[in-house]
Amino acid sequence: GDSWGIFTFLCAALCNLPALPALNCSEELGAGQSIQQTYDLTRYLEHQLRTLAGTYLNYLGPPFNEPDFNPPRLARAERVPSATVDLDLWRGLTDNARLAANYRAYSRLLCYLRVLDGQVGTAELRHRLAHFCASLQGLVLSIGGVMSSLGYPLPAGPAGPPAGPPGAPAAPNDFLKKMDDFWLLKELQTWLWRSAKDFNRLKKKVPPAVVTLRLEARGF
Amino acid sequence: GADVTMKCGSMDWDAAVTWTANGTDIDESHLNGSYLILKNVDLSQSGQYSCYEGSSWHLKYQTYLRVGTPPKEPVLKCRSNNYPKGFYCSWHLPTPTYIPNTFNISVIHGTKDMVCEKDAVPKNRCHIRYLQLFSTVKYKVTLTVTNALGKNFTTLTFDEFAIVKPDPPESVVAKPVPNNPRRLEVSWQNPSSWPDPESFPLKFFLRYRPLILDQWQHVELSDGTSHTITDAYAGKEYIIQVAAKDNDIGTWSDWSVAVHATPWTEEPKHLTTEAQITETTSA
Repeated sequence: GDSWGIFTFLCAALCNLPALPALNCSEELGAGQSIQQTYDLTRYLEHQLRTLAGTYLNYLGPPFNEPDFNPPRLARAERVPSATVDLDLWRGLTDNARLAANYRAYSRLLCYLRVLDGQVGTAELRHRLAHFCASLQGLVLSIGGVMSSLGYPLPAGPAGPPAGPPGAPAAPNDFLKKMDDFWLLKELQTWLWRSAKDFNRLKKKVPPAVVTLRLEARGF
Repeated sequence: GADVTMKCGSMDWDAAVTWTANGTDIDESHLNGSYLILKNVDLSQSGQYSCYEGSSWHLKYQTYLRVGTPPKEPVLKCRSNNYPKGFYCSWHLPTPTYIPNTFNISVIHGTKDMVCEKDAVPKNRCHIRYLQLFSTVKYKVTLTVTNALGKNFTTLTFDEFAIVKPDPPESVVAKPVPNNPRRLEVSWQNPSSWPDPESFPLKFFLRYRPLILDQWQHVELSDGTSHTITDAYAGKEYIIQVAAKDNDIGTWSDWSVAVHATPWTEEPKHLTTEAQITETTSA
């Protein structure tokens, strides 16, 4: 059967993120402060992921839970958004682009994780996954909040993964499905490491004073 | 440990010859006809071996014998002390082979072969520049060592983040604080090899103890390159060290060079003349 099609459908259904409330200027969210909070959240998630990934990989069983496991990247794994980026390109990202990349990545990763949640076997795993997804949703909202407070538009487009090309390879067997899960967790981990660096850079460039000026300029 | 047999060039087996090792005649017991037999060679037997025709003392054959061992598994370590620029790998043999060795290093990142540029100094080191950052694919480094007697190799596989380890902080300075007998002001600088502390900030770990005690006190600092110790024992000399780590990834650096400092102490008040004399004689 076309399990990939089902996957995409599930994702679309699960991924209706609530529209962000318009920022009330009376809240006086200093962007500097919420960048710090977003940074802290990525660190928290990174710690949480370590436990979650350990449990999940054990559930998948060998070779996925072996520390030396170093499989080649299959073409199908490209569906998961990658944190990997050219060094100079990363350095040159505008604040908007940097934030947008994070927002898009975590929105999609959240989707994939939610699908995983529906399929996974043990109660313990489901509980952990649900908790992690909730935290990850918090991160997405937090990034969205920073973007709004800086006057950047939220990235448009479906929050879920794009539908694969017709005849896109479904996970034809159990092993490849597990490989997909493995790469999902790996990309998530790498994104969390990258975000720490992204938000470090943003912290230095966006002190709270800048935001106050912007709000005034826009006549709020 | 091997046995060595040397032929005296084109001389017949039954020719009369004399062998020397580094100029010293070799006893006939080691000869089998005109062949020189060395059994179970050891390192001391390295040297120049010459074979002279019996009566004419013509040099018929000369060779240099190098006694060595095939290489044991080399020791390889890779480290990024200049993240995000790249990393370096360095290696050595656990035991010497006593004969020349060649080292060959290969770095594979996913499906790509990367070139590890050899450093001029030190010779057993090479460095790689990162082309991409935040990679999910591991790096695989293989070091092969070859010599005339054999070959050996070792492999390291790691994630970009796992090998990040800065150099220790530099220019650590500790000074007493005037009129504060329990304080010491410590300051330091980011290691000069860390290229971008703005985007990749470091955090620091300070440890200090008075020389007379064994137990260290620790302070972790996530910001800034200075700290004031406020609980020093008055008048005691302290030893202080600092270590650095990327804020989010990798491991702690080695400890910096240790600095010594003693907190400020009050100048002794002026004593009466008698007491002063006592002071001088007992000094």
